[in-house]
Amino acid sequence: MSEATVDNRAQDVPFSFVIADLLSSNLEQRPEKMRTFSKMWGVVGLNLPDIDAAITMIFAGGRVRIEPGIVGKPDIVITSSSEKIISLNSISIKFGLPYYFDEAGLAVLRQLATGELKIQGMFTHPVLLTRLTKIMSVM
Amino acid sequence: MGKIKAMTQEWMDAYKAAIEADPEYKEIAKNWEGSVALIVNPDPDKGVPEPVYLFMDYWHGDVGEFVVCDKAKAESAKFVMTGDYARWKQVALKELDSTKALLQGKLKMKGDLPYVVRNIKVVNKVIDILGRVDTLWPDEA
Repeated sequence: MSEATVDNRAQDVPFSFVIADLLSSNLEQRPEKMRTFSKMWGVVGLNLPDIDAAITMIFAGGRVRIEPGIVGKPDIVITSSSEKIISLNSISIKFGLPYYFDEAGLAVLRQLATGELKIQGMFTHPVLLTRLTKIMSVM
Repeated sequence: MGKIKAMTQEWMDAYKAAIEADPEYKEIAKNWEGSVALIVNPDPDKGVPEPVYLFMDYWHGDVGEFVVCDKAKAESAKFVMTGDYARWKQVALKELDSTKALLQGKLKMKGDLPYVVRNIKVVNKVIDILGRVDTLWPDEA
């Protein structure tokens, strides 16, 4: 995966490297994720208040730029604890869509219901959220 | 049996035995393939004057070689995790979540990250077992 495809400009935010590594590996290993990635346009913020860290991912049709902090007004902002954020990567994809009815999916629904996980923009940008889930899922 | 000095071969043997004795480990780790190395950065003030290299071989629920090793062997592992002594101790004592440590940059990992995330239960299990080894830490000796 070329650095131009995943352009991490959030070098001062350690978790940006984990996100960039996960995304780059997924895109390298799974061609179907690359196809989804190439259709993605929009801005996603990831906010981890417990470790006082945030990044913004700016998707532009097969490229993503990662900036430190929450930049501008993202379409989607995901707020979670650092321990829980990785569970989002465990959501299965079935028939091309995220599947919420297995152990990992139900755990995410539970976190949403309890407020441990907050996703601003999930109802206004469902396509972007679905595509994000697909490219970040390791399942 | 008294406490075992951390990061020694005796400690690695005890850790391996604890994993083998765990009733759930074999099932949880049945899909895990590959060796893991832990690199402990030196911290002379805490009794760790040199880096420590630990190599552990895990294969489909079985455990193989668990050794204190040299740098070259550690770097040959499928997954290599590096961190300061104090961080590793916090992880072992469950004072610091390993995922959190990774996201904070307190631990660094080389290897197939999606594979590790896919098998995060195995990682959590072996850390859980590590906490059961009655350990004498260098800064407590």
